[in-house]
Amino acid sequence: MSQELTYEEALEKLDEQLKLLEDGNLSLEDALKAVDEARVYLKVCTERLEAARKKIEVRGEPETTE
Amino acid sequence: MIRPEEAQRPYTVTELANEIRRELRPLTALLLKGEVSGMKQGSKGHYSFVIRDGQSLINAFIYADDARRVTTLPEDGQVFIFRGRVDYWIQYGTIRFIVDQVEFDDVGKLRARLDELKRRLEAEGAFAAERKRRIPFLPRAVAILTSPTGAVIHDLQETIWERFPNMGVVVYPVQVQGAGAPMSIARALRRCNQEQLADVIVLARGGGSFEEMYAFNTELVARAILESRLPVVTALGHTSDRTVSDLVGDAECRTPTEAGARVVPKKSDLIARLGERGRRLDREITQRIAREAERLAHKRERMVQLLPSLVRQRADRLARAAGELGRLSPIAQVARREDALRERARRIDSAAASRLARSTNAFASRRAVDRLERALSERFAGAIRALGHREQRLAALSPDGVLARGYSITLDAESGTVIRSAAATKVNRRVRIRLASGRIGARVEEVET
Repeated sequence: MSQELTYEEALEKLDEQLKLLEDGNLSLEDALKAVDEARVYLKVCTERLEAARKKIEVRGEPETTE
Repeated sequence: MIRPEEAQRPYTVTELANEIRRELRPLTALLLKGEVSGMKQGSKGHYSFVIRDGQSLINAFIYADDARRVTTLPEDGQVFIFRGRVDYWIQYGTIRFIVDQVEFDDVGKLRARLDELKRRLEAEGAFAAERKRRIPFLPRAVAILTSPTGAVIHDLQETIWERFPNMGVVVYPVQVQGAGAPMSIARALRRCNQEQLADVIVLARGGGSFEEMYAFNTELVARAILESRLPVVTALGHTSDRTVSDLVGDAECRTPTEAGARVVPKKSDLIARLGERGRRLDREITQRIAREAERLAHKRERMVQLLPSLVRQRADRLARAAGELGRLSPIAQVARREDALRERARRIDSAAASRLARSTNAFASRRAVDRLERALSERFAGAIRALGHREQRLAALSPDGVLARGYSITLDAESGTVIRSAAATKVNRRVRIRLASGRIGARVEEVET
């Protein structure tokens, strides 16, 4: 469910779940579900931080006819 | 004399010429103001002339390509502002000023044109905040459009990797000044958008004068920034004025360091914030579970308190149910029916007994009555019989019997006395004769004594 999320989207979802939890209106089942979901987003965020590839690429100007 | 320790391999002429040329290279994108003289057009479309002021002169040259591009072609005797670079022409050992742009000697006019461009772009809404693209929070990679040499690119990379050690960086080398700069920048911007290797573009330059920043004030670059789908962050150095590129860009920074910080978050901060969220999550669920456990404990306590009365209620109900069950059980029912039967039998017995007694009594009394009746009838019969006798005797004694035998009794009609002798009557006396059946009135006609 979370493979296409960017870091920011995942973070937003994580915060949504946190807010839901902190508002305290969830049933215990929903709270547990929210925590599970939040943990997935947390993991996605952490993965996104590591996934960025450290690399520098220099894109020379393509040959022009000028 | 050249001392031995100073002895070194001599330059060749070409080497020196190249060295001079290299040394002159920084004199690029210069604006030079001077009067034109000796303007000559070459056969290949280039121009050569002299730029001078009161004291000095410098040879100038416009390549054919640039000549096609310049807005105004200089004419002898006029003062212009030339933009160009200083070049050492090694074949001829002369210094030339290679012009790539020509403007009238009127910075005011240049500024007026710039203002006109800004007004036009503003009217289009090109500077509007709502038009600006959002800078991604965490890009996959950052595209850097700048001069491939110099401090700017170094500073940017340093900043980016210091903040986010594994961030990808794609460098698009561009000319940041000179005649070709606008085209070069615009082309690189388009390539960035085509290649999609990064999520954000940093357009950087290490500052400069109004003229040096010329490329960033061109409509060409401004349009390329506006057309970009990727957000463009400008980092053009400390300049007196904001360039048009700054105005149409999506975020405006002054230094490469600032731009690096603007496009890439600090990884350690992110990790710290994620950690903090992780802790909040743990805390929330721990608290939540603790709260549930407490509620549960509370309920258990209440249940424990309620249990005795519940059990009592249940026990009572059970007892009632057992009673009910007992009452309804077949054995009890049979027993009860037996009781009822016995009761009925008893009642029947007693009824029968009394009935029997009554019947016995009745029977006894009937016998008595019979006897009585018999006695009575016997007595009655006797009486009847006696009466019969008396009747018979009466009949035997009654005159009616005599009369039946044909005799009659004659009575004096007047006195009613029986006339037992003829003498007791007279002629014409009225008499009544009683027969066995009926009477006869008669008159005496004769008397015989």
